This record gives sequence, C-alpha cells and structure tokens, in this order.
Amino acid sequence: MSLWVDLYRPKTLDDLHYHEGLSNRLRSLAASGDFPHMLFYGPSGAGKKTRIACTLRELFGKGVEKLKIDQRVFMTPSRRKLDVNIVQSNFHIEITPSEVGIYDRVVIQEILKEIAQTQQVDISAKQRFKVVIINEADSLSRDAQAALRRTMEKYMSNMRIILCANSTSKLIAPIKSRCLLVRVAAPSEDEIVKVLQYVASKQPFRSIDQNVAREIAEDSNGNLRKAVLVFEALKMQTPDLSGPLTIAKPDWETYCQKVADMIIQEQSPQRVMEVRSKLYELLVHCIPPNVILKTIADHVVDKVDESLKADIIHWAAIYEVRLRNGNKKIFHLEAWVVKVMTLYKHFFFGIDMDGFD
Amino acid sequence: MPPKGSSSQRKLRQPAVRKVSTSSTEPANKKQKLRPLSALISPVVFDPVNQSSQSPSQGTQSKGKGKEVQRDVLLQNGTEDQMWIDLHEPLTEENLAVHRRKVQDVRQWFLEAFDGGPSGKLRKYRRILVLAGPAGTAKTATVRMLSRELGLEILEWRNGSDERHHRDDIYDSYDHDEHFTYEGLSERFQAFLTRATNCHSVVGLRSNNVKSSSASSSGQGVKRQIVLLEDLPNILHARTQQTFHEALVASVNSNFLSTSPIVIIISDAGLRGETDPDDMSYGSSWKGKGRETLDVRTALPRSLIGSPYVTQIEFNPIAPTLMKRALQQIIDSEFSSSAKSRSRPSASAPSKEVLNFIIESSNGDIRSAIMALQFASTSVGISLGPDSQPSGKGKSKSRKSAPTRALMEVVTRREQSLALFHLIGKLLYNKRKGDPSAPSAPAKDIQRDREIDTRLKDLPKLPSHLSIHDREPSRVDVEVCHAEFTLSTEYLPSIFQTLYADSPIDSGLLSLYIHQNYTQFCDDLDQCEGVMDWLSWVDCSGGESWYQANPYRFHLISLGTLHSLPTPVTRRNQKNFKPEFFDVLKRTRDCDDGVRDVHQWLRRDEYGNAGGWTQTKVVLELGAVLKAREQRSNIPSDQPFAPPSSRLFTRMPFTKESHYHLEVVKDDNTGVDMAWLEDNDDDRTTRDGGEATPLTGGWLEDDDIEEC
Repeated sequence: MSLWVDLYRPKTLDDLHYHEGLSNRLRSLAASGDFPHMLFYGPSGAGKKTRIACTLRELFGKGVEKLKIDQRVFMTPSRRKLDVNIVQSNFHIEITPSEVGIYDRVVIQEILKEIAQTQQVDISAKQRFKVVIINEADSLSRDAQAALRRTMEKYMSNMRIILCANSTSKLIAPIKSRCLLVRVAAPSEDEIVKVLQYVASKQPFRSIDQNVAREIAEDSNGNLRKAVLVFEALKMQTPDLSGPLTIAKPDWETYCQKVADMIIQEQSPQRVMEVRSKLYELLVHCIPPNVILKTIADHVVDKVDESLKADIIHWAAIYEVRLRNGNKKIFHLEAWVVKVMTLYKHFFFGIDMDGFD
Repeated sequence: MPPKGSSSQRKLRQPAVRKVSTSSTEPANKKQKLRPLSALISPVVFDPVNQSSQSPSQGTQSKGKGKEVQRDVLLQNGTEDQMWIDLHEPLTEENLAVHRRKVQDVRQWFLEAFDGGPSGKLRKYRRILVLAGPAGTAKTATVRMLSRELGLEILEWRNGSDERHHRDDIYDSYDHDEHFTYEGLSERFQAFLTRATNCHSVVGLRSNNVKSSSASSSGQGVKRQIVLLEDLPNILHARTQQTFHEALVASVNSNFLSTSPIVIIISDAGLRGETDPDDMSYGSSWKGKGRETLDVRTALPRSLIGSPYVTQIEFNPIAPTLMKRALQQIIDSEFSSSAKSRSRPSASAPSKEVLNFIIESSNGDIRSAIMALQFASTSVGISLGPDSQPSGKGKSKSRKSAPTRALMEVVTRREQSLALFHLIGKLLYNKRKGDPSAPSAPAKDIQRDREIDTRLKDLPKLPSHLSIHDREPSRVDVEVCHAEFTLSTEYLPSIFQTLYADSPIDSGLLSLYIHQNYTQFCDDLDQCEGVMDWLSWVDCSGGESWYQANPYRFHLISLGTLHSLPTPVTRRNQKNFKPEFFDVLKRTRDCDDGVRDVHQWLRRDEYGNAGGWTQTKVVLELGAVLKAREQRSNIPSDQPFAPPSSRLFTRMPFTKESHYHLEVVKDDNTGVDMAWLEDNDDDRTTRDGGEATPLTGGWLEDDDIEEC
C-alpha cells in the first residue's frame, strides 16, 4: 500500500488544490509551444514536484506517467564506476545530483549530452523536445552548475531543463538568468486543511474533524507533505482521531531539541564531549549536517537572550559555509557548538564582548 | 607440502624443485637472495618482474612478507627448513590458539551442516559460513583443524597468480593442452563453485586440480566436503562481484542434500589511516555505491546477508595468553632434542623478554608473531653495531635489551603507534619553557627539560593589544630542526626532532586524534573554542581537489592547537583515545543502506515515482509514519509494511551514555587495545532462521518458519 502522500497526489494541473493562478500560467505555458527552461523554487513540501509532474503531463499527455527506473553506469575521470538509478519516461528524465556526491558534474554532463544528441523519434509526440528534471538543484556543485549553463543554451532545440530547488541563493546567476523562475509558495493553513479533508474524503472514514485538521496544519508549518504524513501516522496510532492528539515528531527532531537543551544547561569541556557524541549519533542516522545545524540553532535561539540571537545565527551561517567546503562535518558542528557555549557563558558572566567579531 | 591452486597446474608439468633450482642459477636472481639479517643492513631492491616470474615456487601458507624469506630458506637449507607457520600448523584443538568456544561454534556449524543438528532440520540452513576477523587470527587454521578432526575434505578456490594473461591466451593453451585446466579467471569461478559443490565424483577424480587436504576418504560413497573460499576473486570489480554473488545465490538455492557447504574467510583489512577523500567528504550522501573495502557486505550479496542460510562468526585477535602458550609450544618443539637434528648451529631459544615483546607487538596477529619468533630465534647472538641501530622512538625500559628491542621493532615494523602516542602527547600536553615538570617525572626527564629550556630563546613581548596571544616559547618544535641539537642526539630526545617529519600520520588523521582528545586538556571553553576553530578552519581550507589542498594543514593544526591549549596543561591523568570517527562512518554506512532500501521501497510503484522522493526527504520526513506503520503491523494485517531496515534511521532514542567503546591509545602496545579477556569473545553473530524469522516475517519465504 502506498503512502497517502503518494496515492492522492494530484496528477493534472486541474487537480491542484491551491495556487490557481500559477496553475493557469503553467497551463498556458505548456500550450504556447515556446516552453522555456524553468526553475521551480519554494519551501519544502509546497508542491514543486507535483507541479512539475502536472506540467509534464500537460505537455506530453499521459505518456509521461509511464516511468521506468534504469540503472546506469557512469565513469568518473578517476576511472571509478558510478551506479546511478535514473527515473525516466519516453519524454523526460529525472536526476537527483546529491545521490552521486562530488561526481554530479560527470553524471549531468553525460545525461544532458545524451539527451541533446537524440532527437525525439516518436512522430506522435506532442513536443519535439525532452525534459530533464534536476531535483535538489541547490545541492549541485559549482562545477556542475558551470557545466550546465553552456548546455542550456546549446541544446535548446532538443531539450528543456526544469530545476527544482528550495532556494535560488545557491544557484549561480547565469543559471538563474537562463530559466523562468517559478516560485511555489507554501500553502496557507486553510489550504492545507482543505487538502487534508480531500484526502480524508477518499478514505473509508470519509471525513476529518475540522479541529484536528487545523491542528495538523498548524504543526506542519506550511509543509503539505509533512501534514499528510502526520495525518496518516495519527490515523494509524489512534484510528478514531479523537481525544488529545499528540503529533509525533520524527525522532531526530526531538533529539536535536534535547541537544540544544544540553548546550544551554552547561558550558564546559566535558559537556562538549557529551554534545559531540549526540552529534555523532545524529550523523549516524543520516541526518544531513546542515539540517542538524539549523534545527539545533533554531532551538537554541528560542531559549537565549535577545542580544545573543544575532551572534548565534551569525556563527551558524559561518560554520554552515565551512560545512559545505570541509570534509569532516563533525568539526564544524562541534566548532559551532563550542562557539555558542562560549558566547552564552561570556554573556552570563557579563564579560565585555567588544572587539569580538 | 601440498601444492595448491594454480601452482599445482604448473607443477604437474614442471616439478617445483627443478623450477627452484633453475632460478637459483640465474645470476639476476642471485642478487635477490635475501638473508633476513643482511637485509637490515643493506636493503635489497626487488625487481617486480623477476619476482613474479618465480611465483610458482611459492609455498602453502606464504603470504605477504613471508614469501621472500621463505624462498631464501628453501634455497639455503633445502626443504626441511620451512617456515614455522607451516611447520607448526596446529593439528589439534590444543595447539590452536583460538578460544575454545569459538572453535566449538565453528565445529557446531560443521556438524549441523552435515548431520542437521539435533532436529536434523538445520542442514538446510547451514549453507554458507562466513568467518571474519583481522589477519592472523587463525581463521583458516581453525577450518583446517576441524576438517581434519571431522574428516572433511576441503576444496579450495585459489586465484591464479597470472591473472593478467588475456583470456584468449588461456583458451588457446586450453585447446592445445588438455591437462592444462587452469581456472584462474574470475569469470570461471562460477563454474568452479557449481562443480565443486555438486559434482562429487568428478571433483574426486580431479583432486589434482583442486587442492584437497583430507587424509583419505576416497572409498566412501558420499564424501563430506566443504568448499573453502579464502582467496576471493576480485570482488571490488563490479562485474566480477556480480558473478560471484550469482554463484553464491545459485549454490544456496540448489538442493542442499547434494551440495557442499561453503566456508568464506574474510580478513578484515581494517581501516586505513587515511580514508578515501570521497568517503570522508561525502559520507552522508555518497558512500556505499563505490565501496572499496573488502568486507562481508561486499563479499556476500545483500539478499543473502540477512538470510538464514548465512552464518557469520567473528574471530577476534588472539588473546595474549593464548598466543603465549602457542608460541611457547613452538619454542619447545623447535628447541627440544629432536629438533637438534635439523642443522641449526647458531640458534638458541629466544628469551622470555623477546617472547613477550613479540606477543606485545603482534597485535593479536599470530601469523606475524610466529614469523617474528622464527626470526628472533635465528638472529639472537648477532648484535648490531650501534651505528646501524635505529634511534628508537620508544623509551626502552632497560638499556640492556635495547638492541634486541630495536631490532624487533625494525622487524615487526610496529613502532608506528608508539610515535603516534608521543606525537599526540606532545601536542596536547603543550609544554612550554619554564613549565614545571610533572611531579612523577623521573629526574632524567627533568634534566632533559632544563636542557631544552636553556636552548630556547625568549621571544620578544607582543604589544599590549595582542597580549592575549603571548606565550612562552614552546618545547615542541613543529617544523624547524635545529642543526646543533640534532648533532647530539646521543641523549637529547626526539622532542627536538621535527614533529612534521616524524609524524606517522597525515594531517587528516592528526586532526581527528586531536579532535577526539582535546577537551580533556582544556580548562575552560575559550581554549576549546580556539582548538575547535582551528580544526574547523583547516578542514575547510583549500580547494576541492587534491592539488588545491592546503599544504600547511599539519602545521596549522599543530601550531593552532599549541597556541589554544592552556599553558601549562592541567594534569588530570588524561588518557588519549582513538577517534570515534571511523566507527561513526561505518555505522552511517549501515544506516544509509536502510535509507536506500526505503527509498527503493517507496519507488516500487508508479505513485512513489511521481512523488519524487529523495533520500534526504526520506530521512527527514518519513520517520513518524514508518514507526506508526510498524507499530500497527504488529497486529496481523495484510498490508506490507516498510522494509525492516528502516528502523536503522527512524529509531533514535535519546540516551545519556555514549554509544561508542573508546579505545585508548597506549604507549606500550601498538594501538590495538589488548584488554580483551579470554572469555570475552563470545560475540557470535549468528543469523539463524529460527530466531530471525518472527521479526523479519515479511521478508522471508513462508516455508522458513515451521521447519526450525
């Protein structure tokens, strides 16, 4: 049985529940015959991927839904072999560069070249071009981004690229200027409630209590995927959805919160060691280090004095950059933790912080 | 000495003895003659081409560094002077330096594999036994001993030594010469396995081709035989690995009554000091696909690892007590009166001290210990001149034994972590001019410190606004080597030898060690902050490729650490630990497998595909639902639930205690904690069908449950 998120995902632009103006624009774009490269951006769980899929459906018809997963082998410059799973249909191909790490440039170049060099042979195909979807485009390395920009112009006749990213800030300007930027904003609470009710109506139990839906929507923070997942989890835990509901957070989130508490409670070298083992534990569970940093920072900021907040975020930003450039993630996470501890401690003892950058 | 594998083919046509004698007459090979002792004084340059052309003359157990020595011995004294590891191969359990319980585990498996255990039904599940453990932990010896004891015949796969031959060559010669049934190519492994496991009679006839070491059981109808895979094909190559896996799966699926069980022996290579930069940097997103290490997970297909057909037994490094007993036995038999017949003019039994040192330095590797023992017993009596004596990095406990000790250090080449220990200590204790010596320090050390202090020039004072950076001159010299000091190395210790030049590890590993241990040496957070900021900064400095790497990393780390740490460091009996980093990396890898399983599970139908799940989203957002699902599926229902491996990343209890077993970097042994006790090695990781079935019900076939 599929997850509800996947099961009740809208298939066409008409099915979409919110952002109607955007849907109309996408529809007319698909009809215009002059389809540009596109960059969908917006917060996680806002419906970027769904809109991309719907647009493809509008462009090519039902054929795009016939997906197959190919395992392809790529060769890196250092003669290392990469096995990459690629989802594709006859009309489009999907890549998630973060799954191939530093070798994203190689993979992207190979795929783009291959697509660009083959014309669409299907006479009945609605469009002459194929579409390449690049997920998590903000995790593309600089190299890969640079490699993209030339290809985007060169192979315009055979290929369109749709990028999907959380924020445009990590993309280089040349790419942004070659794309039509489409912002998919997070749905409002009312919209989420509407969707939850739609999902409920498809289930045997038919409806969801307004208050419960509202509560889930508030908790989801504009992330529709999360809202639907939480809904499903709740339904499984307490099938009648009555009584006081506790919305289960993923374990890692609670964990981060507790780590933040540890940082606030005590500042000492011993505590650094304890926090480190917690950070290791988070890393072991495959939580991306930047997410760890962000989540802990959020919780810490909630609890400290107003005057410290800016500094803590400032250092979080600095160490996040180092995370991206560096090798050993734990160093940067821990360095930030130590920094926060010092800041907090000095603040506590009222030491003059002038001249402190 | 029974010939094995590919070399046996050669020997059929060309006797090994002749081969050896011809090679020894060639002048080019004369040069290669290697006397263990003279090699110390003037190292011989090996010619790889000549060396490999001689490979057929290699003997049974010769591995690694053993090869050269052995050939020499063969040339000198004839065949009766063998390596001790061959000569004293354990024949009975008493001689085996493995813990009894472990041997019993393996024996139990063999018995079950042939008789089916008490219920007679286990036979079906005793298909593959994986023996894993560090090198020299008597894995093979255990199997051989047991096969002798239980009367099993061992069929062993050996890779050909000349794999670089083109396949065509081999096919040609195959056509021309019927006797030449060489099977060294990895593609042919599959054929070997099918034949070896299924075709008893055929294999029996051909026992010349495939090495058989059973005593003699040719008369029996059905032979009890096992297939031993130790020298695995090159499974790091993707295609070879695939065929290898297919072969294993096929043999598991075939009828268990007619096929022989398979024993796979995997020596953990352990972690290299420097992991591949790719593995390090993209640890969370990219490992697993390009696994470069040989471990259980690469050797076995994933479908088999969790299945009841595979039993895994881990061997631990040999405990010092067991090893001592084994070595003592060897010494006794070697220097008893009966052994006098072997011409051994200059040898005398090694002293107790040497024995202890060998055990200490062997790291639980009994093969290397026996090698060292043999060497020690030939070399005692020859004292090296003081000039050729290497400047020992360890403080030898007694002056008298110093030459022996130094000699053994050179032989065993295990001095590395001694230096590592001192390196970390030097940096973290951060001694500066004028520091009081530790109260327990011997007078000699105090004297030495004073000596150093007198030679240290005072640094000019920094201006007042920089006064926080004012430090006394450090007794640790990171880079520059003062000429006048090196001249008198007589008693000036290695503290003035440059850290950088002497460091056994590179900057990456150094930073990990410092990171693991710095907190104990800091008095307050500011110092922590300094160290950590340096580590973090150095780690992210430099570019992405190797040639952009910052060449001053080592210096920056050491100087940065020295600058940040308090002076003097408060002594509170700190212990230096090994970095947890690698353990973390390993566990992350396991977890990532789980994520990938779930990811694939999500994408198994069209809905999941359209959802565009990425692995990050799976980790971050799916946790709660998967947990809820799993809880519900405890109640019987017809819904399939998520792969059990999802638990790896969805479960994260917040506990107080640390998850890691910390290993102390010690002065007196070689880095591996020898604290394991004799009775400590019962961590058998068996995957029995009976125990595992209820938990992983959705993933096993139906017929697995009732039979156990």
